[in-house]
Amino acid sequence: MLPTVLSLLGRRLIAAIPILLLVSALLFCVLRVLPVDPAAMSLPPSATIAEIEAQRREMGLDRPLALQYLIWLQRALHGEFGRSIHYRRDAGALVAETLPATLELALTAMAIAGTLGLCGGLFLFRLRGTPFETLGDLSSMLLLSIPEFLWGLILLFLFGVVLPLLPFTGRLSPSFMRPNITGFLLLDTLLVWRPDMFWDALTHMALPAVALGLAFSPMIMRVLRSSLFDVYVEDFIAQARLRGISEMRILLAHALKNAALPTLTLAGVQFGFLFGGTLLVEIIYSYPGLGNLMVDAVRNADLPIIQTAGLAYCVAVLLINTAVDSLYLVLNPKLRER
Amino acid sequence: MSPAVSATLRSGRVVIGLGLVLFLGMCALLAPLIAPHDPAEQNLLSILLPPAWSPDGNQEFPFGTDSLGRCILSRLIYGARTAMVVAIVASLGAMLLGSILGHVCGYFGGIVDWVVGRAVDVWMSFPPVILSLVLMVGLGTGLDKVIMAIILVDWTRFCRVLRSEVLVVTQRDYVTAARLLGFTHWQTITREILPATLPLLITLLSLEMAVAVVVEAILSFVGLGVRADEAAWGQMIADARQYIYQSPWNLLFPMFAIIIAVSAFNLLGDGLRRAFDVRLAQLAR
Repeated sequence: MLPTVLSLLGRRLIAAIPILLLVSALLFCVLRVLPVDPAAMSLPPSATIAEIEAQRREMGLDRPLALQYLIWLQRALHGEFGRSIHYRRDAGALVAETLPATLELALTAMAIAGTLGLCGGLFLFRLRGTPFETLGDLSSMLLLSIPEFLWGLILLFLFGVVLPLLPFTGRLSPSFMRPNITGFLLLDTLLVWRPDMFWDALTHMALPAVALGLAFSPMIMRVLRSSLFDVYVEDFIAQARLRGISEMRILLAHALKNAALPTLTLAGVQFGFLFGGTLLVEIIYSYPGLGNLMVDAVRNADLPIIQTAGLAYCVAVLLINTAVDSLYLVLNPKLRER
Repeated sequence: MSPAVSATLRSGRVVIGLGLVLFLGMCALLAPLIAPHDPAEQNLLSILLPPAWSPDGNQEFPFGTDSLGRCILSRLIYGARTAMVVAIVASLGAMLLGSILGHVCGYFGGIVDWVVGRAVDVWMSFPPVILSLVLMVGLGTGLDKVIMAIILVDWTRFCRVLRSEVLVVTQRDYVTAARLLGFTHWQTITREILPATLPLLITLLSLEMAVAVVVEAILSFVGLGVRADEAAWGQMIADARQYIYQSPWNLLFPMFAIIIAVSAFNLLGDGLRRAFDVRLAQLAR
């Protein structure tokens, strides 16, 4: 199985290179049509026109767009993504600092979405043939119609304002000194063995992660349910019944395994979208991740950061898709031989 | 009325979904007639009023006022206008662009198919929120820019699904027969293939309208959507967020409005999907 997975990873890596080049070129072009002058913005307001011109030349802004892109690309390959105009720091470093926070949020949310989707899908399927079937279907439709930023606000309102149970800003209470080992706060607090701090970080994570998870679970529920319907008309289910296997066991041991695969394919795409959804949830909960960095950069027209953060989102989506496809390969015995 | 249309209308989901959509559409169309106030009119003496049914409420403002004393109900009604315009125009635009490319790719294949397929790959590697945000940075704010951004982001939804559908339909015998009868490519696509893909197209369109409402709300929420002088639900939410303790209703009303609009389009789309018997897991966004 390992060689198959490795060859998939290899193929994916090769396919990802042109995609990333195109994505970066696209980002570059979109951001260069802006009516702002990065050179003028990177200098103090007292700068003379001659100084701005010199800065423009230094930043390569007087050259053709294609050449500018190649220069940017060459620097990017050496790990230099330009200096943030607003923070006056290296954009690559800023993105690298905030990325773990967003990844941690996204992974927790994916776990929640997966769990809710699995339980909800099984529950919806169990409702088939009962008077509650349509009710279940319509409720899942209603859940589907509540996007992540509305869940964020609803949970903030319910558990932050009406019943102030959970914190809703940042990643950690200000009284704690944040350990900095991997950047993944839940992991770091366990590494330095501070259960109190781990708990604090977990309560801060709860609302944003649940908001995201709730928003992305209905789609998984609905696809799992319809895949289960497809599986249940197969002969092996009828045969399992004839063998006297209990309904519960047929559902969990026989049908679920087969229905999980199409669901996983969809979940992969959904997780890519979920990663984008972190941006909104981060804004709502003032969570210091890539999303807040990106939105700040958008408000300040901070091009190097928008570009680097945009690229980071794409890399993350490609990685998530590859991980889900590898998982698919591991779980699907039919694909192992080749 | 043809039997197919009446059967479609008999589905409860379609009726309820369509009813809600028509209600929102009427609000949008008749906004100047039914809104009790001008949505931009500020009453600085009566700010953050609660809804009329609470003890401190004022009958003049049925749903209360926001932090600048603007009438919430009027802003909701004018916000419906923004949402519906975006939903309809942006979805139709995305449908046109995506389905034309989808039909061309699925029917002709070859180099066009390859190029469009790679473009779809690139688009799919962007989370839609991020792509629309970046586009809004490039385009600037405004209703037309929001519509443009949604078209440029969401054409892939139509293109992917329709391409694979057209691939299947093109293999059918009646399409080959049409070609043998001397139909041109244009005639084959419009007279033989399009009628077969139309149910899918209409279903996707309805679901895309739900997506468009959400995207418009998100962009306005982040402050990159419509201009500040246009009323939009996302913008109302962003304003009300700062006054969540003093006046939670400010936040809840536009949230309800978005949920109602999105579930109306989703319900309609799901009803149409069932009525047309379109079976596709890919419909999932």
